[in-house]
Amino acid sequence: MGVHQVERIVRPTSREEAWEIREREASASRFLAGGVDLVLYAPPSVTTLIDLSGLGLDGVREEGDEVVLGAMATLSEVLESEIVRDVAGGFLSTVLRRVASPLQRNAATIGGAVVRAHPWSDVVPALLVLDARLDAFDGRERSLDVADSSPRGESLPPLVLAVRLPGAARRRRASFEKFARVGFDVSVLNCACSARVEGGVCRDVRVAIGGTPSLARRLPGVEQMLEGRALDPDRIASAGRQGSEEIDARDDRRATADYRRRLADVGLRRCLASWQELKGRRVR
Amino acid sequence: MIRLTVDGRERSWDASPGDTLLDVLRREGVVGVKKGCGSGDCGACTVLLNGRAVNACLVLAARTNGDSVITIEGIADGERLHPVQEAFLDVGAIQCGYCTPGMVLSAVGLLSRNPSPSEAEIREAISGNLCRCTGYVKQVEAIQLAAARMRGES
Repeated sequence: MGVHQVERIVRPTSREEAWEIREREASASRFLAGGVDLVLYAPPSVTTLIDLSGLGLDGVREEGDEVVLGAMATLSEVLESEIVRDVAGGFLSTVLRRVASPLQRNAATIGGAVVRAHPWSDVVPALLVLDARLDAFDGRERSLDVADSSPRGESLPPLVLAVRLPGAARRRRASFEKFARVGFDVSVLNCACSARVEGGVCRDVRVAIGGTPSLARRLPGVEQMLEGRALDPDRIASAGRQGSEEIDARDDRRATADYRRRLADVGLRRCLASWQELKGRRVR
Repeated sequence: MIRLTVDGRERSWDASPGDTLLDVLRREGVVGVKKGCGSGDCGACTVLLNGRAVNACLVLAARTNGDSVITIEGIADGERLHPVQEAFLDVGAIQCGYCTPGMVLSAVGLLSRNPSPSEAEIREAISGNLCRCTGYVKQVEAIQLAAARMRGES
């Protein structure tokens, strides 16, 4: 694994050209964004890298009420963006500050983080609870769910152009909990929650847990339990229990399934309690 | 062939498509950049790429064409050390020294954007630079001292 077998790096100037090369080279090629993951994990079959830096996919911008994160924007650029800090009380900035080290965040891109979608990814659950969509291209323009950027069967994963946060995400209440051994280690488990909170009542609730050790997914049972309800300590405790039962927890070298269920319970309760301003009551 | 500016000097170096920036720098004699883990975990290979601290082991050299790279060899002003280097010496923030180039460059990158960092911000900035000798107390003190000196307060 790695890039020492790579024979050429091509730099297309249009998405059509990039996709044409990707289709032609198929398993021998990968799109190159920040390159952090490819340098470490490119399969031995990969001999062509398709550099996306000439496609104008940089930066963070607003389009109407939406926030558009260019796929080539680094994690540092996203977390430092004033536009992003204005979304859900700075939720995404807070999450990204806990992803990897600053050295890696200065090179890794938001597009790469979404496409690579490691099972322990902190980025994916955060985007899931913001109802983020992906602008993508596979010969034609597409709008995809965050969960749809990974390969399915034999087909090539699409070229991700941008991550799009809907205007409604700006006004959400959102929180995140990550459990890891040390500072920038990968998550043993992570939790993200968001909702519109109106008069103390939760609407359009989104809850996602990742690193179970599978990739993050939403938990419809917990969401239904909270939908249209006011948060109180009993409901928060129930949501934690429901989450711990609803996740697909398994053992791996980082943690046991039982430990992960316990973390899901604690993580969800911490996320929700932070909305209730029950911070004085330490969640154990 | 890549063309880039390294420590203020324009360079044209051969680079294979699979070479990392770390591979090329060390091959060309810029050995102040240390190789540690080779996987972005230790930070020994930290350089400033266009002003941002990165792991040189995770950056493809071919992607740095036209870029500016600052290494530990390029931050002193002639015989006069950079204030961060000076502070590391004065505080005694060095033991074996292998992590020091990377740690110093992470600090330089931080102070260029944030002249008055909190202790938490300093600790975050060097969180990708692992020191296996000393812990981090002295390094944090040194960066605080350098920041104060650069602000003209000490």
